[in-house]
Amino acid sequence: MKKVLVLSVAAMSFAGVASADVKIGNPLALTGPIPDLVAPMALAVDLAEKHINEQGGLFAGGEKFEIVRADSACDPVAAVDAVTKLINVNGVAAILGPVCSGATIAQAESVSIPAGVVTLSVAASSPAISTMESGTDLVFRAAASDAYQGVALADLVIGKGINEIAVSYANDDYNAAIAKVFADSFTEKGGKITANEAHEPNKASYRSEVATLGGTSDNLALFAYYGSGGITILRNSLETGAFTSFIGADGMLAQEVIDQIGAENLTDATFTTSASDTEAKSFSAWKVLADEAGVPASDPFVPNSYDATFMLALAIEKAGSGDRDKIAPALREIANAPGEVILPGEFAKAKKILADGGDIHYAGAAGPQDFDDNGDVAGFFSQSTVVDGEWKAELLK
Amino acid sequence: MDELTGYFLYFLSLLTVGGIYAIIALGLNVQWGFAGLFNVGIAGFVAVGAYTYALLTTANSTFHYGGLELPLAVGAFAAMITSGLVAGIVGLICIRLRSDYLAIATIGIAEIIKLILKNETDVTNGPRGINKIPRAWEHLTEERFYTNAPMTWIADATTWQSFFASLPRWWWQPMFALTVLVSLYIIYRALEQARVSPWGRMMTAIREREPAARAAGKNVTNRRIEAFIVGAVIMGFAGALFAQHLRLIDPTNTFDPAKMTFLVWVMLIIGGSGNNRGAMLGGFLIWFIWSASELVINGGIDLFRTFFTTVDVGILRTRAGFLRMLLIGLALQFILQRYPNGILPEARPAASGNPKK
Amino acid sequence: MWESFGFEFFNFYFIPGLVLGCIYALGAIGITLTFGILRFANFAHGEVMMTGTYLTWTFSMVFATMFGISLHPLLAAIPAIPATILLALFIDRYFYKPFRKSATIMVVIASFGMMLVVRSLVQVIWGPNQIVFVKGIAKPNEAVRDFTSSFDMMLLIPNKHFWIVAGTIIIMGLLVYLLGYTRIGKAMRAVSDSPDLANVTGIDVDYVMRATWIVGATCALAAGVFLSMDTQVLETTMGFRMLLPMFAAAILGGIGRPFGAVFGGLVIGLAEELSAYPWIGDTPLLSPGYKTGVAFAIMVFMLIVRPSGLFKGRTF
Repeated sequence: MKKVLVLSVAAMSFAGVASADVKIGNPLALTGPIPDLVAPMALAVDLAEKHINEQGGLFAGGEKFEIVRADSACDPVAAVDAVTKLINVNGVAAILGPVCSGATIAQAESVSIPAGVVTLSVAASSPAISTMESGTDLVFRAAASDAYQGVALADLVIGKGINEIAVSYANDDYNAAIAKVFADSFTEKGGKITANEAHEPNKASYRSEVATLGGTSDNLALFAYYGSGGITILRNSLETGAFTSFIGADGMLAQEVIDQIGAENLTDATFTTSASDTEAKSFSAWKVLADEAGVPASDPFVPNSYDATFMLALAIEKAGSGDRDKIAPALREIANAPGEVILPGEFAKAKKILADGGDIHYAGAAGPQDFDDNGDVAGFFSQSTVVDGEWKAELLK
Repeated sequence: MDELTGYFLYFLSLLTVGGIYAIIALGLNVQWGFAGLFNVGIAGFVAVGAYTYALLTTANSTFHYGGLELPLAVGAFAAMITSGLVAGIVGLICIRLRSDYLAIATIGIAEIIKLILKNETDVTNGPRGINKIPRAWEHLTEERFYTNAPMTWIADATTWQSFFASLPRWWWQPMFALTVLVSLYIIYRALEQARVSPWGRMMTAIREREPAARAAGKNVTNRRIEAFIVGAVIMGFAGALFAQHLRLIDPTNTFDPAKMTFLVWVMLIIGGSGNNRGAMLGGFLIWFIWSASELVINGGIDLFRTFFTTVDVGILRTRAGFLRMLLIGLALQFILQRYPNGILPEARPAASGNPKK
Repeated sequence: MWESFGFEFFNFYFIPGLVLGCIYALGAIGITLTFGILRFANFAHGEVMMTGTYLTWTFSMVFATMFGISLHPLLAAIPAIPATILLALFIDRYFYKPFRKSATIMVVIASFGMMLVVRSLVQVIWGPNQIVFVKGIAKPNEAVRDFTSSFDMMLLIPNKHFWIVAGTIIIMGLLVYLLGYTRIGKAMRAVSDSPDLANVTGIDVDYVMRATWIVGATCALAAGVFLSMDTQVLETTMGFRMLLPMFAAAILGGIGRPFGAVFGGLVIGLAEELSAYPWIGDTPLLSPGYKTGVAFAIMVFMLIVRPSGLFKGRTF
């Protein structure tokens, strides 16, 4: 028993080792409801960390940029506990994450804002985050709020000539919210929502839901995570011929969907995500890096994860130290114009410009990533359809 | 200096959350330790308390009902009442059920509570949850509190603002932790009094020798319902504290039975069931282990990485979370088998001649 | 929707409900037997089901790499049967047996703990990601469709559903034979009714307990494989998702009554799918968000009104 205690304390102290390196806390929902969504996101974060350290590290001395990963489990309790440890025991300079809106808001209101630490979430899209702070400027996100994407999606559907559509949304914090924004926006623009029902995630069969909704329309707006029932609904719909046309958002945009359902069955499926226009230079740069490293370039929030990590590193480099107070203003400066455009992976180039006293403007893999006053990024979105067995994105103008 | 402050703040958070769990464990001890009721729906009662508190004390919001902005103490009190009410209804229906059945019924009821909280979006904001929940002591720094009575009786708003600016950022954390610990202590003393009181002795008699108790004319069903309600009231209060600690609650993930209910049962069993001190010990101990195990495992992986620098630890880190659960689960099995009575065995009220001991 | 000429109810609600019911039924058999003979609610049952299915997939992967042939899931399940049985027996021997003489709650907590242990183990070994079990979409069986449309009916049933229902019927048949006509079956029924009396008549209770695990594990494996055939994916939470409806089914049918559990499973499966049917008007009777609540509501109702279940099983 004593040996176990001694070993534990020793191991624990490894976690809190201080050095000149700069540490960033990375709480992600590694366990919990969406582990398969989060695994590639973690790979993207690690990839960014690798690039930064390979291209000279931080500051003149080439200090190490270190990601300290923790498990926020998409759960406020775990997130608060994980971030408490990251901030207090590991002494991180900023928080990169979490994934879920609930976890992000909880840890921000409970721990990081009171502690004065910057949070840059990789995927939280709740509209509540925009107006969360009063008097502080510490919460940012690299994914657009649902308030924008729902509207863009409604525009897209009307633009395709579809005037009536059924809606099915997974009853979780992301999908329920974006479904509501979509439904409201679509109705406002003159469309008709023929049916609007929630479904519980992770069920074995959605045939009855699909049958009931399918009777009302041939088009389905599907808001779900692919791994938590989204694929099942798609499958049940295709098996029974309930719907012929599908639209939806980030949660369904994964290679998994093509692998499991088959590209030939997905001819009329369009899903949107924060803009990764495959024509854009920043996305192509990202795709090259991602393919080389075996990271799925277009999976939900994966490019956002890379961008967020990269931006934090640039901000720290600009600030000149790992001082928590300096990061927020530096973050705005490197992310927004003016400045020389930096693409994903160009850390060495950015470092040189900053060392010479210049300005940079990071253009992200998931979109321009310019922060507004609330710390939100603007809603640029792309629509993806299946082309040659892969998702191909096209920017929505 | 900063590092020490960091460790100190982490320790405070361990005391806070451990304390809240200890309160829940005390509540469970009333139900299980006193009355022998196998309640596996703990998460449901805590959720009811938390949501009541949140809805009553948060400011006006487009996302959910409320905006009543009632004082925090009123919110906590209301949390206790609603939780007790729900327990009363559940108890009236289910109390006659025997152990395994009661377990399954209470799980089912906790699930139904969760589904209601999730689907009644107009009231509770559904899966998005309720945020900006005011936290005791920290709430004083919020504008809507220091610009109104009773704080304005002491000083005006600008004085308060400069006062708070002069304190260290984390000044309220020790105060909040203290609030939790003091509440815990009060509940503990109250339960200890109850345990050695005639009511407490009767509960023990009912639990151990029910037919004899019935024969002696005791209304077993009513006593059981009482115990169930008292336990739930305590859990509701803990829910209000939890809501304050997290500042955001949601129906799906915050009150996950696999974590909350399971952890509390582990705490009670390991600490010593039927024993109030054991419940508290279990609460703190298991939470400490649960929280610190993440640091230990991460430290272990880092250690591993320094020796085997070529190995890609990406997969290890991703799966580390599951490893943690695996090890805790195995540890529980070990303790269950070696020390089935828990660390602190039950103290019989009659055996300890002096009730104050 | 495929035109089904008025047969929507049958094709899109009833058949799926029946298939789901078969899966619940098979899982519930193990639960009711454990409840009846070993006298506790085994929370780890769903995880055994899940692990068995993962093993099935692993066997089929190994087979495919060694021989280049891709096996039908039901064939790949055959080597998984002894593996799953061994798992169940291992868990019993090291984690449940120490509590045979203790209060029931100890073994229930142990089983709750095992649920988390087994699930975490699978997550560590196979990872938390979903694994494709069967690719593509299952279109309705053409022969049946053409045949029935010639009679002005339209039955749209994919092949996998035929396998599932047929498989369930076969297993039921085997169970009838086992419990009604073999020595061990009669011994199991005796122990379920009264363990002390069974002991007195010379039945080896330990042997019966092992038989219980074997039968329960096999049925659980079948349930898991059928579930994966239907959803065409594997994931680590599939066991837990099914667990509470399976408990509901066991309680509905009466603890210790395997055929009651089957009946209960079918009722719960059908109730879940049919609750979303637009019985009145155009919208579902019950919001699909509450669909999971159906099983719980039935269960709680049974516990209050008639805890012995529909077929008068044990009450504790």
